[in-house]
Formats: sequence, C-alpha cells, structure tokens
Amino acid sequence: MAEQYFLLAATFLPLLLSPVSYFLGRRSGLNIVTWFSFGVLLVSTVLLFVPALTLNGGHIAYSESYAWGQFGNFGLRLDGLSLPFAIINYIWFTVLIIYSKPYINRKIIQDALDRFGSQTPSQSTSRDQSYVLGVDEKKPVESFNVSWAESKYITTVNIEQQRYVNSRLGLYFALFMVFAMGTLGMVLATNLIEFYVFFELVLVPSFFLISFFGYGARQRTGMMFFFWTHAGSVVLLLGLLSIGFFAGGFDYTTVRTHEGQIPIQWIPIIVFAVVMGLGVKLGGFLLHSWVPSSQSNAPIPVAILLIGIGTYGILRIWLDLLGGNYAQYSIYLNIWGLATMIYGGAMALMQDDIRKILAYSTMSNMGYILFGLGSGSVLGVTGATLLYVTSGLGKAVLFMMAGSISFQTGTFSVSKLGGLAGKMPYTAVVAMIGLLTLFGIPPTSGFMSEWIMFAGVLQTGVHDQNSLRVVLFGFGLLTTVLSSAYLLWMYKRIFFGRIPEQLGNVRDSNKYILITMAALAGLSLIIGVYPDPLLAPITSYVQGMLHNSPGVVPLPSSGGTGSAVPLAKSIMFKSGDRMSGNVADDLVALVTVTNGGINRGR
Amino acid sequence: MVEITGLGGIAVNVWLVWIIPFVGAAIIAAVARAGIKIRDYTAVGFALASAVSATTLIPLALSGSEVHSQVTWISILHLKAGVLADPLSVIMANLVAWISFLIFVYSTGYMHGERDLTRYWFFMLFFIGSMQLVVLSDNLLMLFFGWEGVGLASYALVGFWYYDRKKDFVGTEGHKAAGIAMWASPSHAGTKAFLMTKAGDAMMLAGMFLIFAYSGTFGFKELIQNQGWAAQMAHQNLLVPAAILLFGGAIGKSAQFPFNEWLLEAMTGPASVSALIHAATMVKAGVFLVARIAPLFFAIAAFGMTQFFEVVAWVGAFTAFLLASQAIVNPEIKKVLAYSTGSQIGYMMLAIGIAGLSTNFADGYTAGFFQLISHAMFKAALFMGAGALLHVVGSRFMTDMGGMRKYMRKTYIFMLLAALSLAAAPLVTLGFWSKDAIFAAVLGSGYEHALPLFIMAVVVAIMTAFYSFRMIGMTFFGKKSEYLEQLEASGQHPHEVRPVVWVPFAVLSIATIAIGVVGFAFGSQLQHTFSTYLSTYFGITEQKQIQLLHNSVTTTPLVKLQQQPKLFLGLNPIAAAASFGAFAAGGFLGYMCYIAQKIDPGIVSNNRVTSWIWRFLYNRWYLNSALYWGTVIGPLAIYRLVWRYFEFTVMEGINHTFEFSMTSFSKVVKSAQTGITQTYLFVFGAGIMIIIMLLLL
Repeated sequence: MAEQYFLLAATFLPLLLSPVSYFLGRRSGLNIVTWFSFGVLLVSTVLLFVPALTLNGGHIAYSESYAWGQFGNFGLRLDGLSLPFAIINYIWFTVLIIYSKPYINRKIIQDALDRFGSQTPSQSTSRDQSYVLGVDEKKPVESFNVSWAESKYITTVNIEQQRYVNSRLGLYFALFMVFAMGTLGMVLATNLIEFYVFFELVLVPSFFLISFFGYGARQRTGMMFFFWTHAGSVVLLLGLLSIGFFAGGFDYTTVRTHEGQIPIQWIPIIVFAVVMGLGVKLGGFLLHSWVPSSQSNAPIPVAILLIGIGTYGILRIWLDLLGGNYAQYSIYLNIWGLATMIYGGAMALMQDDIRKILAYSTMSNMGYILFGLGSGSVLGVTGATLLYVTSGLGKAVLFMMAGSISFQTGTFSVSKLGGLAGKMPYTAVVAMIGLLTLFGIPPTSGFMSEWIMFAGVLQTGVHDQNSLRVVLFGFGLLTTVLSSAYLLWMYKRIFFGRIPEQLGNVRDSNKYILITMAALAGLSLIIGVYPDPLLAPITSYVQGMLHNSPGVVPLPSSGGTGSAVPLAKSIMFKSGDRMSGNVADDLVALVTVTNGGINRGR
Repeated sequence: MVEITGLGGIAVNVWLVWIIPFVGAAIIAAVARAGIKIRDYTAVGFALASAVSATTLIPLALSGSEVHSQVTWISILHLKAGVLADPLSVIMANLVAWISFLIFVYSTGYMHGERDLTRYWFFMLFFIGSMQLVVLSDNLLMLFFGWEGVGLASYALVGFWYYDRKKDFVGTEGHKAAGIAMWASPSHAGTKAFLMTKAGDAMMLAGMFLIFAYSGTFGFKELIQNQGWAAQMAHQNLLVPAAILLFGGAIGKSAQFPFNEWLLEAMTGPASVSALIHAATMVKAGVFLVARIAPLFFAIAAFGMTQFFEVVAWVGAFTAFLLASQAIVNPEIKKVLAYSTGSQIGYMMLAIGIAGLSTNFADGYTAGFFQLISHAMFKAALFMGAGALLHVVGSRFMTDMGGMRKYMRKTYIFMLLAALSLAAAPLVTLGFWSKDAIFAAVLGSGYEHALPLFIMAVVVAIMTAFYSFRMIGMTFFGKKSEYLEQLEASGQHPHEVRPVVWVPFAVLSIATIAIGVVGFAFGSQLQHTFSTYLSTYFGITEQKQIQLLHNSVTTTPLVKLQQQPKLFLGLNPIAAAASFGAFAAGGFLGYMCYIAQKIDPGIVSNNRVTSWIWRFLYNRWYLNSALYWGTVIGPLAIYRLVWRYFEFTVMEGINHTFEFSMTSFSKVVKSAQTGITQTYLFVFGAGIMIIIMLLLL
C-alpha cells in the first residue's frame, strides 16, 4: 500500500498554518482569519474522517509510522479508542472557531476599552446607559452598547485600538490552532514519549490563551493552571519513563508485549503515578484546586476544552497498555470518582457565578468518568468513554450559553439574572438540551452514556459479589439527582422568574453563537437516539483491550442465559429440565429452588 | 392468541401511535408561522391522528392477540427497539389518546389568547408522544425514554407560566409549616416535580440495571421467554429488591408516598395540563409500569414475590389514606383534585398489589386497571370543569366561589356527574363499579392482612365521598362569596364558558354515567380480556395458582386459599355493602355541611382538639416540611460548611501557600541582586577566599 499521510497532515496542518493565521489576523481582521482557521481545521477534520471510514467497526486500525531515533517510532494511529476522541475533539475545535468569531472579537474590544480607557467614539447612542459590559466589575467600561448585528465589524474603535485588536485576534486564532494540534497529536500518539510531548504541548497554548484572553485575574490564573498541570505532567513523566525503562522501549506495541517484564512491586507505583498525573488534568477530588478558577477565568472556548482529555490518557496508558492489573486496582478509581462526583456537585450548589457552577459541574462530570473507568467491566469503561463525548457536548453548550449571556446582559452572576427565557428563547431551548445532556435525560446522549456506565458498575458489583461496589453504585446513581438539582436550579434562576428591570432590553444571542450551540446540541440528540456509529467501535475496542485483563467483567450476554454469576448455573441446570416447557409449570420448581437456596444460606 | 411480529401490516399503526405526536411536536414551530388558528388545529389534528391510529388496534385487543415489532437499535449490546401491542397496552393507548384528544380540543378554547402557545403545543404533543412510548415500548430501556420524556414535558408545562405571576402560584401565600413556605411559584413547582421524580427514576434505573446484569436484556418478551436470569436472581435474593426498585420509579411518577409532595405543587400549570397529567399521562405512567411488570414477576416467581406485592399494596393503601385525609381540608379546588388523584392512584396500586397476594391474580389486576380507566375519565372531566371555573372566577380558592351553579349551569351539571363518579355513587357511575371491584378483590384475596387493608380502603371511600360533595358544595352551592360580589360590582359578571370548552368535559362525564349504567357488563368484559391475556402470555390462571399454593406450603404463609362468595351481578355482598355505606356516610356528611349547610364546618376548626388535627392535615402531615428540611436545607447547610472550611480554606489555601512561598523565595533571591558593586566584590572575594582555603586544607 502506498504511503499515506492523512493523519500526519491532519495533525500538523494547524501547527504549520498557525503563523499564517496570526499574520492574517493582523493584516485583514476578523472575518478572514476566522474563516481561514475554520477552513484549516475543517480540512484536518475531513482528513481524520477519511481513514476513519475505512475502520470497520473498530476492528482494524489505521496507522502511520516514522522512525524517531532512540525513542522508537513516531506514529499516528487511529483505532477504536482514539477515533471517538480525535473526531469529537476536532468537531469541538471546528465549531468553537466559529463561536469564537463573535465571541473573541467582543472580548478583545472589551479588553481594548479596558486598556485604552473609554475613548469610544460617538457610538453611545445607546438605548440603555446602565449597560455595563466591563468584565472587571471594579472598572466598568463606558457604555458600549452596540448590538450584535452592529458589532460584526470593528468600527467602534480608533485606528490605534483597531491595530491592537487585530494583532490580538491573530494571536488568538494562532494559539487556538496549536491547541487543536496538541490535542490531536496526543490522542493519535503511538509512543509514550510522543504522548508526553503532545501532552505538554497542549499546555503552552492554553496557558497563553488564559493569560491573554481570560477574565478577572487571568495572569495569576494562567500561572496557577500552568503550575498545577505541569506538576501533574512531571509525575506522569516519571510513570511513563519507568514503564519505558522496564519494558525496554517506548512504543505502545513494545510496552504491550513486554508488560510482563515490569516488576510486580513497581506496578502499583507506576499506575499511581500515571493516574495521579492525569488526574490533575481531570480535576479529580483533592487535585482540583486549579479547576474552578481556571475554568471560570479562561475564555469560553478554552474553558470548554481545558479539562477532560486525561480520560484518554488513563484509558490508553493504564487500561490498554498495563491492563493486566486493571481489575485489581479499579475499585480505588471508582471511589475517587464517586468522591469527585459528589464534591463537585455539592460545591456547584454554592456558587453564584455561572462559570463557577459550570466549572464544578465539569469537575463532577469528570468524577462520573472516573467512576466509570473504575468500574472493572467492559460495559462501564465503554460508558465512561462515551461519557467523555457526551458530557463534553453538554458542557460545551452550557459554557457557550454562559458566554452569550454575559455579552447580552453584562454579568455572569446568577443572582442578577432571571426570566431570560422570554428574552432569549433560542438560547434557552438549546441550553436546556445541554442541561439534559449533562445530567443524563433521554433522548439526549447523556443518558445513553450514563446508563451504560452505571449498568457496568452494577454488573461488576453483582458479578464479584462485592457489596462495596453495589453501595458505590447506589450513591453514584443518587448523585445524578444532585447533578440535576444544581443544574435545574441554575436554569431556573437564569431563565425563569421575573426579569430584573435593567435586563428589559436584552436580545437573543448572535446567530453564530446560536448556530454553533445548536449544532452541538443536535449532535447530542443524534447520539442519544442512535448511538451505534460511535458506540460500536468503542465497545469492540474496549472489549478487545480488556480481553486479556484478568477479572474484568465482560459484556452481559443477551437472551437471559445469564453470565453474571457462574455459581448459580448449577442450580439453574438442575431445574432446567422442568423449566423447558410452560412457564407456569416451572413456578413450583423455581420457588422450591429459591427457597432451598435461602435456607442453605441461613 | 395470534402473535404478529415484524414491521409489516398493523405493526405500522402501533409505531405511528407514538411517532405521530412527536412529528407534530417537531413541525409545530414551523406551522405556527402560518397562523395561530392553523397551529392550534394542526396540534389537535395530530392528536386525533394518533388516537385514530390507536383505535385501529382495538380489534387486536379484543381478540387477545398481540403485535410485537422490533428494529435494530444498539447492535453491539444486542438491544432492539420495539413496540408491543398487547391487550394491556392497546387499552391504555386508546385511553390516553382519546382523553388527550379531548383535552386538546378543550385547550384550543381554554388557552385562547395566552402567549407562547407554540411552546404549549410542542410540549403537549411531546407529552402524549412520550406517554404512548411508555405504553407501547417492548422493553424497559425504550420505556425509560418515554418515561423521562413525560417527566420533561410535565416540568415544562407545570412551569409553563415561568414568569411567576402571583396569580399562577399555588398555595396560600404566607402559609408556613415548620418554617417551610407552603406556597410555590410555577418555576419552583416544575423544578420540584422534576427532581422528585428523578429520585424515583434513579431507583427504577437501579432495578433495570440489576435485571440487565443477569439477563442481558430489557425486553419484556425476552424476560418472560427465558427465565434463567430469574432463577439466578432469586437464588441471591435479588429478585424482590429489583422489583421493588423498579416500583420506586412508579412511586415517583405516580406521586405515591413518600414521593407524593410534587403532585400538589404541580397545580401551577394550566388546568388543561393538570387534566392531562392526572388523567392520561404522567401519574398514570407509574400505574402502567406496575401493571406491566406485575404479571411478569408473578409469572416468574409467583408466591416467591409476596414481599414485593405487599410493598405495592401497602404503599397504595397508605397513600390513598394520606392524600384523601388532606383533600378534605384544602381550600383550593385544583389541589383538592390533585390530592384526590394521588389517593385514587393509591387504590390502583392497592389493587395490583393485592392481585399478587391472592389466588386469583386476574381479579385484583382487573380491578386496578378498571379504576385506572374510570379515574382517567372522571378526573379529566373534573379538571377541565375546574379550569372553566378558574377561568371565569379568576381565583383558585373555593372560598372565593360559591353559588356558581346559577351562572354556569352546564359546568355545574357535568362537574356534578363526574364528582358523583369520584364519590362512587352506587350502581350508575363508573367510579362505583371500579371501586367495588377493588373492595371485592381485597376481600377475596387470601392475604393474611387483608382486613386492615380493606378497612383503610373503606375509610378512604368515605373521605372521598365527603370531599367530592364538599368541593361541589363550596363552589356551586351556598351564598356568593365576597370576592364574587366585588367582581360583579366591578362590572365582571360570571358567565358560562364557550362550547369548545365545556363540550369536552361534558362528553367525558356523560360517558362515565353511560358506561356506569352498564358498568357491570363493562367490568366483566374487562375481566374476561385480562384473564385471557394473563393466561395466554403469562400462564397465570386460577387453577394453576391454587395448585402452586398447595405445592409450596412453606414459602407463602401470608397467602391462604379463599373461597369467594358470589351474589347477583357477581358482587361480593360485604364489598357492595361497604361501597354503599361509604358513599352514604361520606356523602351525607358532605351534603349536610356544604350543600344543605345544616352543619357548620366551623365546629371543627373552633374545637381545640379537632383544630389541631385540622392543622396537621392542612400542613400536609408536615411531610413537605420534612422533605425540605431533610433534602434541601440540611444538605445545603452541610455543603456550605464544606465550602467555607474545606474548599475555600484548604484547597484554595494550597494555591495561596504556594504563591506565598514562591514570592518569599524570590524576595530572598532578589535581595541578593542589590546592584551595588562593593557588595558583589565583597561576596566575590569572600568566595575566592573560601575556595582557596578549601583547596589548602
């Protein structure tokens, strides 16, 4: 087969063209740079889809590999696991580029007005002087009340400001593209070192994006974000290096075949290092200190993409490469996940800032994912993987809503909002779909992933006769009520009730924002009703991946033959000869068997 | 006895029953652009189309055959989406479809002139689509889609007037019980409804997953065909917990104790929505689920499941009593009806529960479903009538009405007919026959504790008759209230509502009487249909159950064989006497207090002891307060403590400590960079000296 470069091109195209983005932004302004960046990411996404179509149900992998000196091979590989992550991330990036068009323009103009003071020209023919668009509440910007339709083009600032705005625009889009490239590289990597390089590469653009384009104390936030995640990365690196050292190579294939060479006493340490290192990036309980401030101060598109990708790391490096010990330690991940779920949900109830609510909500959702990853069953891990996609969709829609609301009303504070459903009906509808996705109500995709995940956790519990797991499952399921509570309460306070007087003139969101939100919400509905195209490759990959891991509970076999408990099979067999015929005839036998079982137990 | 599978022929109609309303919901926003009238008629048209589609299935139900049609859904887990039209679901689907259709017709008049009606129609169509999905799905997972769709629609419709005008509130403003406000805004009520039913849904999901872990399927047919899973679960004592967990979902949806509190606040929605929620959709979904799973579990484990059926029966009986007792003191007309719904649903649960505790499953099962049918008809009529009253009077309090029969003759007559059915007026109302069937089923069961259940049921019947007469008396009889006189003084005269509003509930209340007159025949036809259904598809027959009971002496000490005395029209003499007596006692008291007004109800609230009881009932047994203290205020206080002392102090503290130590460190390093040459030279010299000394040593 001729050499193909789909993945190489998909990965590095955004990186190579990011300087072009920057200069285009500086020279030509918003429209051109947006559509250029969008085009680049779209081409990359299409390049991803081409090999993805050749994947038949996730059985075959598509890969490209290049020699990489002493580290082994530099490869890019699309299989059942990386496929959903790669595709969904690129869909997010591509959609968020369009969302950024109105968003970042508005944001930069606000910052520009902050920076240059309010020399706003005669635009202040405003309908409502009390509008405060300032981000920093202490330093309100002079009324700058152009509607979305009017602010399409930056005509409201002078030439000096215009230059400033344009250079910032270019920078934003360039960094955003590097961000996309890092994420994709990490997902497609086939080598531990390569994985780490991309993992760190994501950090750089996200750090600058927060520090340059964030809200509030953005530079401090950026530093904090950098320190926390970098500390996590170092721990991760130690784990990765030990794996490579013991296995005699950094290639995934090498590690997989030589997994047995890792000394048994080192396994817990390595797994601990890897999970902790990635756990920081996931905002697990006790490692989450950076999450609330980073997510609430980052610009909206970055906040959406900031956390979660650690899911892939845990799946790939622990479950896939070191799967032999998975069942043994999975319970700890389960407990940690539950703690994160409950803690995030409880803290979200305490917040007033929409972004903070959503940040804790994201943390809680990461808890769900960890909970599923720690299920110890094929079903649970599949659910967790799908949950990464679905919770990401829900979270994206809600963060986009938050950004839009802040522009329309000038505030992120829930207590200052109310009754917006009448003023922003489309936003309210789409946000509702996002909301339902996050707490798992059908027909949104959130339910599809959550039921699979929870069913998997319970399956392990009954299979292993492990009452701790069953209790964890019960608490996990009850936490969904907590999740729905904080989200519905937030929704009620934003969209229902009486409209505060100063919000009398609010209008619905910009069309770019609405379309992008609706696209993601629509995707959520589609996956929720018909998940097969996404679920089939994930499930078959997870099945194959955990096939050799001892103690992992397989998929339940259909048709009621009952794979859950081998112990009971003999009993079933005993009464089997009488059970073949009429249903009611067997009742006696069944009841007797049941009763006998109970008595023996006593 | 014919079983039709696949997607051809009549199976298409089954799919269409639930798909049509969803299609209508999807296009209603686009249709709305063409005009308001067209939009309203389109919505009604879609409801009618769905109803017609459901009607085509009736011959199927009467012949006892079933349609089972499946398509591939989640292939990797071997899960299929499918519809199952057996007699149970066909009867239910028709009930839902036709009552919804009448409510839709009523809505075109009742909601006329409201704003945002596109949203209203969207969710109404979504509502009946979801309900039909619950009714017709052939597996629990797909049923859950409809289940949550119903919850979502009721959330949206209960909070339809989300802008929280004072007049849309429910409860008396300023009324607090144990520090908890007992009045609620529409948006609050909607959220509460969603959250409380979600708690029930969590239980239901747990039950579903438990069964899935053993069987690998959610399908009702698959579960009954291959019962290996049940043997395993029974062996581990998990079958009963799984069934009870599934029942938890039904408790939440049907507002049974302890999840009963949301139903009362749900009165903030428009009256048409209340009618839909109470008669055809939301709360009936829970009963339907129990009716769906009860024969399944009974067929699988028969008298090994007695605990489950006991839970169902007792929860039902207790809820019936709890809510009926609250209904007799409430001043709001819609809330009285809401309490009444919860109470009547308790009867249905009681009947289905008792079915599993007797040797004749079909008796209790039919009684429960009979009650569901009759309740759906008279409650829809009552809610629509109450809506007409609210519309005219403009107040939700019955104390603001009084003497309305002069102004609203037709509403009065038809509400009276429906209320008589609710009160179970003997021999001519549908409500009488269904209630009598329940009494007979309870008495006829061999359940050890049948007597207390029977006494509770009779007491509830007395209270039901009382509050029905109270409601009619307070609204239509007596003197005009001050509020009405003020209204008239301001130039607004109460008048009869338009035909499009009163005809739908007239149809239903006349139907309750018309079917009531031949209620006995109707009941025995239903009995026959369900007996056939149960024996064909589940193998449940009376002989087999008696045989079972004989064979497994040790397992079921709770249930004994009972001979049922039969009389003319198949009435159980004790049950019939109890029905007559309950109606007479409750009705007489209600008549004397509120219609003839010979007894002053004030004697209760003036007496010290009885006023305490009155307050206890009026404060809803303090259950609402307990709910808020236990699940809202308490947890929030704990979270606040965690927030303040852990998240804000410890976790944020890490960042501050880190920041502080870094800045301090940099200060130390910085202080070395003085820029003074002498210092540098001095340090440089000292360093050289030390190195030389080290070398020399």
